[in-house]
Amino acid sequence: MACHFCDTLHEAVPVPEGTAARCKRCGVVLYQNRPASLVRVTAFSLTALVLMAIVNTFPFLTMEANGIRTELSLAHAARELMREGTPVIGWGVALFTIIAPLVMAGGMLYVCAPLLIGRAAPGARHVARWLGRTEPWNMIEVFLLGVLVSLMKLGKMADLYFGVGFWAFAALMLCMAGAVAGIDRNELWDRLEVAAE
Amino acid sequence: MIPHPPRAIDQGLANCHVCGKLTPVAKHHCPRCGTALHLRKPASLQRTAALLLAAGALYLPANLLPVMTLSELGDIMASTILEGMAEFWRRQAYPIAIVIFVASIMIPLIKIVALTWLCAAANGKVYSSPRILGRIYGFTELLGRWSMVDIFVVAILVALVQFGAYMTVTPGPGALAFAGVVVLTMFAAMNFDPRLLWDRLEISKAPDPPQPPADRE
Repeated sequence: MACHFCDTLHEAVPVPEGTAARCKRCGVVLYQNRPASLVRVTAFSLTALVLMAIVNTFPFLTMEANGIRTELSLAHAARELMREGTPVIGWGVALFTIIAPLVMAGGMLYVCAPLLIGRAAPGARHVARWLGRTEPWNMIEVFLLGVLVSLMKLGKMADLYFGVGFWAFAALMLCMAGAVAGIDRNELWDRLEVAAE
Repeated sequence: MIPHPPRAIDQGLANCHVCGKLTPVAKHHCPRCGTALHLRKPASLQRTAALLLAAGALYLPANLLPVMTLSELGDIMASTILEGMAEFWRRQAYPIAIVIFVASIMIPLIKIVALTWLCAAANGKVYSSPRILGRIYGFTELLGRWSMVDIFVVAILVALVQFGAYMTVTPGPGALAFAGVVVLTMFAAMNFDPRLLWDRLEISKAPDPPQPPADRE
């Protein structure tokens, strides 16, 4: 195999569970052996999908000022931006906080769950290819920081209440991180290759 | 000088950027995942430079134009990213002011400067250790997304603060420019190929460079 960072050729030797092989020239991680990778990815992405349903049905934040209440949800924030004359940003927010995480979690589940019993789902190769492309655009942790900053901004203007959606979102962030950290790229593709035959 | 280990490119092998399988480049497509094979990311420097140029052009409007407008009882107050940060500083919310400063002002600027530097180094215009440059590259790729935080703040405020004539927040033109900077620098970082930095060592050592790697696909 070759290092993706400096193109140096290496002999791919198996490493013990939980450790990583590094490039002898540039020091970048070549591959990792992640324990129980498929089970972890399946479990975390399944949980993430359930949490996503909760996040998008329950209110996220409620704000009260002068007797008027407004509610925030992810879809609502995106829709409001589209309506207020900046549809590009509205779509961006929808993409980064709803669509990308959904594609990631759904894709990971679709690819990994059948692999647990040694099968490859139809089109799993394409889905697995798209996972890598979607990953940088999944920004739920950044959105959570945005919520924190907004709270500081609004703190003095009005009363704010956290909804169920907010807590589900925080848990969703952890699940997505757990699922992505569970992916063992070499193992995944090796198993896909074997399962497809 | 210790002779360095052989590179994949020297043996005509391409490293699939999706699944990591090593295949002779003559096959054109990865046998495992079907992705098109390239020895180096195609036109990496040109694409990175073009995206950086666009991001640089948007950087000023992103910071000078208001990202949102707050109208409170008829008073209209437009605020830029810098003003938003200054407001937190005035209210002595220092940690949050620093977070905004780092995420919104420093990271995009550092990314643009660092990637320009990396392009120059990959082109042989400046000389630095590829190991350090590689670190810088990894850093820019990792941090870029956090700049989006200000766009999300605008999104949240626009959705939450809708109290009619009493208090309303609307997005400003700066938000679009700012989102553009973040997305363009992210694409620029993705298009940059760090292997070009290491290829430079080969070219500067060899008296007769076989072929500039940037021209290969």
